[in-house]
Amino acid sequence: MQAHLDVPPDLLDAFRTAGVGELEPGAPSILAAPAGHGDWPSTLEALTGLYRKARAAAIEGSPVVFLVSSDALLGRTGALNAMAAMGVVSAARTLALELRKQGAVANCLASGVDTPRDETVQWSLHLLAGSADGPSGEVVQLGGAQIGKALS
Amino acid sequence: MRTAVVTGAARGIGREISIRLSRDFDHLIVVDMSPTLAETALKLETLEVRVTPVQANLTTDDGIAQVVESVDAVTALVNNAGITRDSRLVNMDEEDFRAVLEVNLGVPFRLVEGLADSWAGEASVVNIASRAYLGNFGQFNYAMSKGGVVGLTRALAMSLAPDVRVNAVAPGLTATEMIETIPDDVISRMVAAVPLSRVGLPSEIADAVAWLCSAESSYVTGQVVVVDGGRSLT
Repeated sequence: MQAHLDVPPDLLDAFRTAGVGELEPGAPSILAAPAGHGDWPSTLEALTGLYRKARAAAIEGSPVVFLVSSDALLGRTGALNAMAAMGVVSAARTLALELRKQGAVANCLASGVDTPRDETVQWSLHLLAGSADGPSGEVVQLGGAQIGKALS
Repeated sequence: MRTAVVTGAARGIGREISIRLSRDFDHLIVVDMSPTLAETALKLETLEVRVTPVQANLTTDDGIAQVVESVDAVTALVNNAGITRDSRLVNMDEEDFRAVLEVNLGVPFRLVEGLADSWAGEASVVNIASRAYLGNFGQFNYAMSKGGVVGLTRALAMSLAPDVRVNAVAPGLTATEMIETIPDDVISRMVAAVPLSRVGLPSEIADAVAWLCSAESSYVTGQVVVVDGGRSLT
């Protein structure tokens, strides 16, 4: 499979191992929410980078999976991480609405620090392969650690 | 003395929140970059509350400092200032993306940082989000900023507990200047999707904010109160 990948290095290796190859126009995108930035300007810069890639996907009408941290969604890893993660979820829902006429989907995949990388890779590919009638604008939570929490 | 700070107070929902909070607070610090803030201040002075208007651009360090220097102890902070720059993502300029994020999300974060040493006991922060945080066509930037506000609310609810409660109010379609440019037939279609069959009033948003600033919500923190006439269900 071909995909635009903007994910942390450890996940990048896992995607490569799973056979996800070089990007080409019209390929789907797997984009990680910004995390670990120490101040607002650098967080805004990272979100702007994500905006550029999401816009490119919107222009191509190609599907997108956004990777977010469950702990960040719940505000457990600091304000800047929470702002970025929940911001990406809301942006993904909006992108899902805008992509609908083009038959493409946008979803979020939420995982924890203990989530096996292979699981993240397989679910990302599964969500990218979905039809317009499948899930879109959703937050898919891996594992059961956050059951009962206000995840999104 | 109970002091409340309200940003974006010159008009619309922010002005109405200021008027509503004048019943519950001794001192209101009203903030806006617009000179029409003076009109809100004049109105508040007739309501027998001490008023300190701060005309400032909160996207700058100087603007944040102006607010911080105007307070001794804050009992309530209402982060209301916000802007829109709507378009489909395919047509959205980077400048418009960044402007909305900077004002709607960066300002609340920076203001809370600036006020870190200024909280009175049992204080309350209310961040004005939007129903758009659930996703809204043509508002990639605005939805992201308001989702970010919800994330900020959750993180602060934990980091500032137990002394400060932090919640959000997410208004739906509300009768402010922001919707005056929308054609009537479009408004009619939007209202048709609202179970309560009407546009919300700024005073109804202000009442929710006042509740979250009051002791009546003393066991509520980290939550989003959606005030949208039921629109998020249809």
